[in-house]
Amino acid sequence: MILEAVLLLGLIGITLAIIFGTDLMVAVVIYCAFSFLTMFLYIVMGAPDVAFTEAVIGVISTVIFIILLRSIDRKIK
Amino acid sequence: MMITISTFLAEKGIYLLTFILLSLGVAGIVTCNNYMKKLICMNIMQVAVIFLFLCLGQKSKGTIPVAVEGLEKAADYINPLPHGLMLTAIVVSLGTTAVGLSLLLRIREKYGTIEEDDLLMRQELLSMEERQRRKQELQRIDT
Amino acid sequence: MRKLFTVIILIVAISTPFFAFDVLPVIGDPDSAPNSHVSDHYIEHAVEECNSPNMVTAVIVDYRAFDTMFETTVMFLAGVSVVLLLAGRPKRRLISPSAVKKRGRTVRGKAVYETVNKDVMISLIEPLILIYAVYVLFHGEVSLGGGFQAGALIGMTYLLDVMVGKRQRPIFNLSKFRSAALAGVGPFIYALTGLISVFAGGMYLEYNRLPLPVHQAELHSIGITAVEIGVTIGVAGTIITIINALMERISFDDDND
Repeated sequence: MILEAVLLLGLIGITLAIIFGTDLMVAVVIYCAFSFLTMFLYIVMGAPDVAFTEAVIGVISTVIFIILLRSIDRKIK
Repeated sequence: MMITISTFLAEKGIYLLTFILLSLGVAGIVTCNNYMKKLICMNIMQVAVIFLFLCLGQKSKGTIPVAVEGLEKAADYINPLPHGLMLTAIVVSLGTTAVGLSLLLRIREKYGTIEEDDLLMRQELLSMEERQRRKQELQRIDT
Repeated sequence: MRKLFTVIILIVAISTPFFAFDVLPVIGDPDSAPNSHVSDHYIEHAVEECNSPNMVTAVIVDYRAFDTMFETTVMFLAGVSVVLLLAGRPKRRLISPSAVKKRGRTVRGKAVYETVNKDVMISLIEPLILIYAVYVLFHGEVSLGGGFQAGALIGMTYLLDVMVGKRQRPIFNLSKFRSAALAGVGPFIYALTGLISVFAGGMYLEYNRLPLPVHQAELHSIGITAVEIGVTIGVAGTIITIINALMERISFDDDND
């Protein structure tokens, strides 16, 4: 119970950091940490199948975002 | 009053944090100006929904849904039905994000920017020029 | 005016779920509404009817196999959409001039950074990941795993090879149209398994009536494995298609311009 609440508070903090950030590369790297924390959350809730899938899909999704950052300006006004 | 608050937090308290995460995701999609941040906030919203479904299938004395010798009754395992639905939802969300990113790439190639303010200002300038051009043509036809 | 409208919609949308606390069940209750009707039957009869101790696999591939077929089709459609959106020629050629086109497939130039880590270990790690993917696919019934995880692992191997690998051609050297066709083979195998049982006199996707001379329990195992091979090919093909379509239009500083 407490562990799930702590992980959810961490996720809310990461969301605030993504919304109010100014650098896109930082947002993508923080998104990778977000995916990692959700994988821990799924294990704590007792769903190891879902955690395995989330780990692999999180890596692929983050790398596709980084590939696309090559053609986009990193700083936003 | 305090007893009801503490029982409320013990039984349904996790739902509060889940709704806060979902609301932050929706607020991020509506207010962020950059299209890439909107896509990232879409994935954040999806995590909140999946966590809500996993919460609905919990049992207080259950173990993970793989059959073990000696545990026979249904109250000993947690509900496997939400796990199955969420498994496919995660994989399909990858496909949705990929389609969104390819649209982003096309917008970047055609208009040169991915900020929403710049795009709307560009559309307004184009429509103002269009109206001026039509007015001049009508004046030319009248004379 | 537009900002006021935005704020009103946000307040309405955000405050709506907070009124639903009466309807939601208590966390951890074994008698709540989602845990009552059909899941008990799935938990108690998964091992004897479907021959698989992993209940999540039994639910998604045996009891609800029709839903999973359309999920695989949606993955294939996502791959086709990406190819359709990115099929035109870009205005500026973003592919580096040192890459050569041979028979319709692009061969990359030589990488600038050569280190022992990247060049030796990637060639050793990739076959291990592929072997692990095949293991996860075939052990999906007994322990954790399944078709979706194995397909994503194969896609991850391709991504690793394209981004970091040393050879001039990647492991699966396909253009984006051909890898989209490969992604279509997956739902085809899935639907074919269902049709075979219709031809043998049963319902669609009923594994009991497959026309094979083995026992009842093994029929379910063979049906589940054939269906999961279809899912794996569909997911792996879609991920390879997405990576191929995106990498054609983006240039990297590593290429020798």
